[in-house]
Amino acid sequence: MPECPIILRRSLNRFAEIYSKDTPGIPAALLSVKNESPVPYLARIPLPLPSRRSSYSCAAPGANGTVWLGAANGLTRWNGGAPCKEERIWFFSAPRDLPDNAVKAILPLEAASDGTEIVWILTETGAAKLTLRFLSGEEKANLLLRESLDVVDRRGMFSQRQLSVPYRKDMPLPYNESDNDGCFGCGFAIAEELHYATLARELGETHPETQRVRAIATRAAEAMLLLMYIPGRGDGFVARTYLTPREPVPDGGYYFRKRADGLAECLPTASAVHSGRAGVTVKASAAIPARLAKLCQAEGSAGTGIVYKGDTSSDEITLHFAHLYFLHITLGKLDAELDALAIQAGKALLRHIIDHGMELQDCFGGPTTWAKWSLRYFNGGGSGWCDAPLNAAELLMYLRVMIKISGETEPWQGVYDSLLAQGYGDLPAKHRERLCQCVMAAGLEECEDIMYGDHMLATMAFWLLLLLTPEDAVKAKLRAGFASWRSSIGREWNPGYDFPYALACPGAALDFSRLERWFYRSPASRLAAGVNVAGRHDMPKRTCRGGSAETGWLLPDDERFIAKYDRNPNDYPGERGSASCVESGYVYTFAYWIGRYYGFLRDA
Amino acid sequence: MPVPIHAIGNAHLDPIWLWRWQEGCNEALQTFRAALDRMEETPGFVFTCSSANYYRWVEEIDSEMFAQIQKRVREGRWVPVNGWWVQPDCNMPSGESFARQALYSQLYYQEKFGRTCKVGYNVDSFGHNAMLPQLLRQGGMHAYVMMRPSNDENPHAPQNAFWWEAPDGSRVMTYRLPQGYVCDGVENVDNAVNFLRKRGEDAGHGMMLFYGVGNHGGGPTKADIAFLQEKMKKEGFTALQFSSPDAYFAAMSAAPLDLPVWKDDLQHHASGCYSAVSMVKQLNRQAEQELYFAEAWDTAAAQAFGFPAQTKALAEAWRDTAFNQFHDIFCGCSIREAYDDVRDSMGHARTIAARAANSAILRFSRKIETWVEGVDAPTKEVRHRGIPTEYPRPVVVFNALSFEREIPVRVLEASRRVEDSGHTRVPHQSIRASRFDGPDALDTLFIAKVPPMGYALYWLWMGRTPEESVCTAVQGSDWFLENEYLRAEFDAHTGGITKLIDKTAERTVTGAGQLALPTVINDITADTWAHGIFKFHDIKGTMRPVHTTALENGPCRAALQIKYKYGESTLVQTFRLAAGQKTLEVECKALWSEPYTMLKIALPIEGSDPISTYEIPNGYLKRPCNGEEEPGLSWADCTLTDTEGLRHGVAVMSDSKYSYDCPADVKGAQLRLTCLRNVIFADHCAKRPAREFDFTDEGVQRFTYAIYLHEGEAEQSDVTREAASLNSQPHVVQESYHPGTLPPTGSFLSVDAPNVLVTAYKRCEDGSGDLILRCYETQGKAFTRAAITLPQADAAFWADFTPFEIKTFRIGGEGAAAQVNFLEGIV
Repeated sequence: MPECPIILRRSLNRFAEIYSKDTPGIPAALLSVKNESPVPYLARIPLPLPSRRSSYSCAAPGANGTVWLGAANGLTRWNGGAPCKEERIWFFSAPRDLPDNAVKAILPLEAASDGTEIVWILTETGAAKLTLRFLSGEEKANLLLRESLDVVDRRGMFSQRQLSVPYRKDMPLPYNESDNDGCFGCGFAIAEELHYATLARELGETHPETQRVRAIATRAAEAMLLLMYIPGRGDGFVARTYLTPREPVPDGGYYFRKRADGLAECLPTASAVHSGRAGVTVKASAAIPARLAKLCQAEGSAGTGIVYKGDTSSDEITLHFAHLYFLHITLGKLDAELDALAIQAGKALLRHIIDHGMELQDCFGGPTTWAKWSLRYFNGGGSGWCDAPLNAAELLMYLRVMIKISGETEPWQGVYDSLLAQGYGDLPAKHRERLCQCVMAAGLEECEDIMYGDHMLATMAFWLLLLLTPEDAVKAKLRAGFASWRSSIGREWNPGYDFPYALACPGAALDFSRLERWFYRSPASRLAAGVNVAGRHDMPKRTCRGGSAETGWLLPDDERFIAKYDRNPNDYPGERGSASCVESGYVYTFAYWIGRYYGFLRDA
Repeated sequence: MPVPIHAIGNAHLDPIWLWRWQEGCNEALQTFRAALDRMEETPGFVFTCSSANYYRWVEEIDSEMFAQIQKRVREGRWVPVNGWWVQPDCNMPSGESFARQALYSQLYYQEKFGRTCKVGYNVDSFGHNAMLPQLLRQGGMHAYVMMRPSNDENPHAPQNAFWWEAPDGSRVMTYRLPQGYVCDGVENVDNAVNFLRKRGEDAGHGMMLFYGVGNHGGGPTKADIAFLQEKMKKEGFTALQFSSPDAYFAAMSAAPLDLPVWKDDLQHHASGCYSAVSMVKQLNRQAEQELYFAEAWDTAAAQAFGFPAQTKALAEAWRDTAFNQFHDIFCGCSIREAYDDVRDSMGHARTIAARAANSAILRFSRKIETWVEGVDAPTKEVRHRGIPTEYPRPVVVFNALSFEREIPVRVLEASRRVEDSGHTRVPHQSIRASRFDGPDALDTLFIAKVPPMGYALYWLWMGRTPEESVCTAVQGSDWFLENEYLRAEFDAHTGGITKLIDKTAERTVTGAGQLALPTVINDITADTWAHGIFKFHDIKGTMRPVHTTALENGPCRAALQIKYKYGESTLVQTFRLAAGQKTLEVECKALWSEPYTMLKIALPIEGSDPISTYEIPNGYLKRPCNGEEEPGLSWADCTLTDTEGLRHGVAVMSDSKYSYDCPADVKGAQLRLTCLRNVIFADHCAKRPAREFDFTDEGVQRFTYAIYLHEGEAEQSDVTREAASLNSQPHVVQESYHPGTLPPTGSFLSVDAPNVLVTAYKRCEDGSGDLILRCYETQGKAFTRAAITLPQADAAFWADFTPFEIKTFRIGGEGAAAQVNFLEGIV
C-alpha cells in the first residue's frame, strides 16, 4: 500500500432548502426567469443523463463552466471539467433536493469568492435553494458529528431521530428508540474514539479540539457501556437498548421494566403476549456504575422505571466487543476508570456466553433469538448452519479482545484453544459456500440473500481477530474467511469496510481512487429524504430471480437513499423517505476516522 | 442411514458421430418412444433428456408423441435438462454462442413445457471452460452435470459434488459423474449401485446413478428398470430412487454440506480435438462473426428505417450454428460424410447472415448523401461505374464492433487517391488483385477510420487524377517490413522472422529460434481425439522456404510472401504490416497432404517466469507453460520477464484456430499456434490397417493469424480488441451517386470503456421490438464503469462491471433500460 494513498481535496457538497412558492425571500427573478433551450447544451454532453434527453426543458449556465438542466423528473448539473467521468453529472431530485421533480425554472447566482455556488430552482409545487459548498473531509466529518449531536443524540446513543416536521432538523421528536442502539451506537463511539486518538496524535492531548472530541467520545462510550450494565441481571446480560420512563414503549419485541423490588418484568407487548411471556420477571438489582448511570439521571434514574429491551442479538454483542477494544486503545489509555468499567463489562458478558454454552441466555430459559455461537446452534439445522462461519469468527474475536484488553490469558485462552479444537477456526472460510447453498435452496440469486448488516459484523470480527491472533496458521484460515465475504462486501465500495480489510489482509488490492470519490460524494447531512431512482433514464433496473430489484450500477451516496451500515446500496428504487428522519452521521465518520487514524487518507 | 442414490434414466444421444444427422434424428424418435413405453409399464420411472434440438425434431415429425412427452413433463416424470440446444463442445464456442444455446433452448422449453431447465448437463463434452458457471447462470441454470476429464486425465479435479466458480465469481453446484453416463445390463447396473453407495458414504452426500443404453440413443431397458425396482426393496438400498438431476440438486441444496470449491477449468480429455477438421472450426468462427455483424446491422437498420428485423431468420441461423457446436461435430471426431452436412448447414446459416447483412448495410449506404455536382443532371441516382472517371467514387465502410477502428480496407478496383468525407487524403495504395484481367489488375487499399458500430464514407479518385497518397512509416522489401509500431526482419534461408521489434517499447523480441517458422509435428500415435496424449512435441521437421517475394511496399501496407515446402505439402505465408496496425498479420494458404501430422507456427521468446494466457468465452485464463496442448478462442499469449525484470509478451491470434501449446525451458518459452491436424476421421483406437483413409485436414487450407507484442501482462494489453478486429472484417459498399438524408459518418452504439466489448445487438425474441445489447468486461479489472449509448433508441445509461462480468440489457420503446440475463427478460 502506498503511504497515505488518499489525499482528499476540498470538494463540493450539496445542501438543499425546500420552500413553498409563497415563502418570502424566494427571489422574484426566479418566478420570471426565461431559461435557455437545453438543446445546444445537450448536444455537447456525450454521457448518459439522468433524464431522457427529450424531457429536458430548460437550461442555465452555472459557475465555472457548469450547466444546469431542468427536466420533468429532476435537475441535472453538468460539469465537463470534472476530473473523472463519474463526477461530471450530478442529479438532484425530490424530496431530498427539490419540492417535486418537475423543474420549471433555474436561477443560478454568481459564485461566491470561496467557490460556493447557489442556484434557485422553481418546480411545479415549490422552490428549492441549492447550495454547493466546498468542504474538506474533516469539515464534513465535523458537520455530520454536529448534526448527530444536535438531532440524533439520545443520552449518548446515536441511531436516528424522527422529525416532527419534514426537513426541520431543529424540530426533532423528543424520543426515538432504535432496536439496534447498541450496534449503531458502538459504530458511532468507535468513530469518535478514533477521532479523538487522531487529534491527540496530531494536535496533542491538551489541544481544546482534542479535549472537545474526547468528551464526545467518552460520552458515547459510556452510553454503550451503560447498555452492558443496565439490565442489572448481574450475569453480564446486555440490553439491546433502553428507555426512560418518559419514553413510550414500542409494541414489538421483549421489553422489561425495572421495578422497585429489584426485579424487571416483561411488558405485555404484542410479541410478549403472543408468546405468553408477558409478566415474567428477572433479577434487575445489580448495581449500575454511577458514572454510567448519570447518563439517564436527567430523565430519572438507571434503576426503577427504566425499560430495557432484551432478546439481544449477536450484532450488538459483536459491536460491543469491537468497541471495548477501541475504547481500550484510545480513551482507556488516560481514563483508567472507564477502561476498568469496559473490561469488567466485557468479562461479565463473555463469562455469560461461556457459562451458557456459547449462547446469550434470555430470562425465559433459553437463548435469545440471534445471539448463539454454539455448536448446538450451528449443527441444529435451520439458520445456524448458514450463520456458523460468521458467528464462529465473532466468538473467537470476543476472546481475543478480552485477552488483549484484560491482560489476562485465562480463562479466555483455554476457551479459545478449545474452540479451535472444535473446528471454530475452520468454519469462517465456509461462509460463501453455505450462503450459496442456502441461496440455491431458496431459489434466489446470491445478491438477494445477503444480509447487509452482517458486513459490519464480519468486518469487525475478522479485522480484530486478524489484528490480535498470533498464530500464522489460524490467521491464514481467518484471512480465507474474510476473503469469502469480499464478493458481497465489495458490492458496497465503502471505505469503512475496505480499510479494515486492507489492514487485516495486507496486499489486498483496493481501488483507492474510487474510495476517494466515496468521501466526496457521501452526503454532508443524513437527513433521510428520498431520491428519484426509478425515474432515472441512465439507470437500468435489474430484477433478480427471487423478484427483488436492484439498480444496475451503484449510485453515488448523495444520490441514493440514506441508510446506516445495514442496507443494500443497490436497492431499487430505494427508500423514498419523507425527509422526516435524520440518521446517525457515523456512516461517514466511521470510515473517515479509520482512514485518518490508520494512515489511509489525509486532507490536502 | 444410507445415502440417497438418484437413479437417472437417460439415453445419451449423439445426433452426429459415427452416423449422419438423419440417423441421429431417427435415433431420437426411437429413444423417446421407448422412454414413453417404459413410463407406461413402470409407475415412478423417470426419464431425463437434454437438448432442445431433439425435442424440436420430435415435435416436427411426430406431434402425437410430442404431446405425450408434454404430458409426462407436466407430471414430472420426463425431465428436460440442459437449457442448451445440444450438448456442445464446451471450450470452443464463443461466449455469445453459449448465450444463444441458452436463449433459443430455454424459450423453446418455456413455450412447449411451461418451464425452463435449471440444470446444465454436458455429460460427454470433452472439456469445460472456466467461464461456464457464469454462462450457465446467465442462461437460467444453477447446477451442472459433467463427467470429463476422467480421474486418470486430471486427478486434481474435484470428485462427486462441488461448487464450481468462474473467474467472475459465479458459482454452480456441479456433479461430476464418477463412472459413465451410460450403464446397462443388470450386472453392470448392480455394480454401479454398489459402487455409488460406497462412494456416497465416503463423500457424505447423495449420488446419481446414470443408467440406460446410450451414445446412439436407447435408454433404460425393461430389465434394468425391473432390477432397480427390486433393488430398492433390499436392505441398505431404500434410499435408491427413480429420480432426476433436478431432484438430486434440490436434495443436495437442502442438506448441510460443505462442498469443495473449484476455481479453474476442467481439462483435458481429448487434446487433439481442438485442431482436427479445420473446416468445422473455421466455419464456426465465420458463422459467429457473420451472425454478429448481420444481427447488429439488421437491428440498426430496422431501428432506423422501421422495417421488421430479421430476428426469426437469424435465430434459425444461430440454431444451425448451435447444432454444429455439438461436441462430436465441433471437435472433429465424427465421420467424414457428416462434415458434408455440417458444411451445408453452416452454409445455410452463413447465407442467412450474409443476406441480412447485405440488406441492412445497403439500406444505410443508399440513404447517405453521395451526390457530386456535375456527374449528371440532378437525377435520383447515377451508377458509379457509368460516369466519367474524373469524379470521385463513393465507398462506404461498415464496422460492427463497439469501438472505433482504423483499418486497411480493400476495394476491388484501382484508384489514384482516397479521401475521407472531409476531403482529407488518407493513406492508400494499389495492390495486386486476386483476378487477372490484364497486367494492371489492381485493387485499392486504404486506411479507413470507422466509428463504433458505424459507417464512414470515403471517396476514390480514378482516371487522370494524380497518384497521391499520404506519407506513413510503412516500408518493406523482401527481407523486412516496418510501420510506426513494428519492424520485422526475415531470414531468406529459413523463412523465419529473425527480429521482431516493438518500436514503441524499444524492445526486440528474441527467442531460442526464429519466429513464425512452420513446424511439422509427427502425430502418428494419436487417434482423432488424441486419447491419452496431451503433448504434441515430436517434431518431424521444419518447412523450408522455396521462394520469397516482396509484394507490397506502402505507404498503406507492406507485404512479403514466403512459400515453404515439406514433403508433398506447401505453405504460403503472406506477412503484412499496414499503417497504424499493431499486429503483424499473416495470411496463409496450405496445400496439405502429410498424413498423421500437425502443423504449428512457433513463436519462441526469451525470458523467465513464463505464463501463458488464453482467451476463453467472455474472458481469459492463465495456464502454466508446461507444453500441453490447450484449447483457446481467438488468441493466446506468452508473457515473460526480461533480464531487467520487466514483463512483456507475444500473443498470437487467428481467424479460425482454437488450439495452442506453450512449452518452456530455462531460456524462455515457445508459443505455438496449431494450424492444422491431419489424422484419420473418427479414428477411435489408432490401430489402423494399411489402407487408404480420408484425412481430416488434407487439401487446401486458408487461414490468417497475427502476431502482437505488448508490455506488461497480456490482460493489460489490447489483445482482445486486436483479435476482435482481426476476426470482424469491415464490409465495403461501392455506392452510387444519390441524394440522401444520412450524414457521411454515423454511429449507432458506443461504449466508452475500452475493456467492455459488445457481443450482441439485436431485437428481443418476444417480438416486442425492444432492443437487446450484451457486453462483457475483457481485462479482469476489479471495477469498470461504462457509459453505453444507443442514440437510435434514445437510450444512454451507465453500467458497472466486475471482472469478466457479462451484462445483457433490454431497452424499451422509450429508451428505458433493464438488465436481464441471456433469456432477455422473457422468462
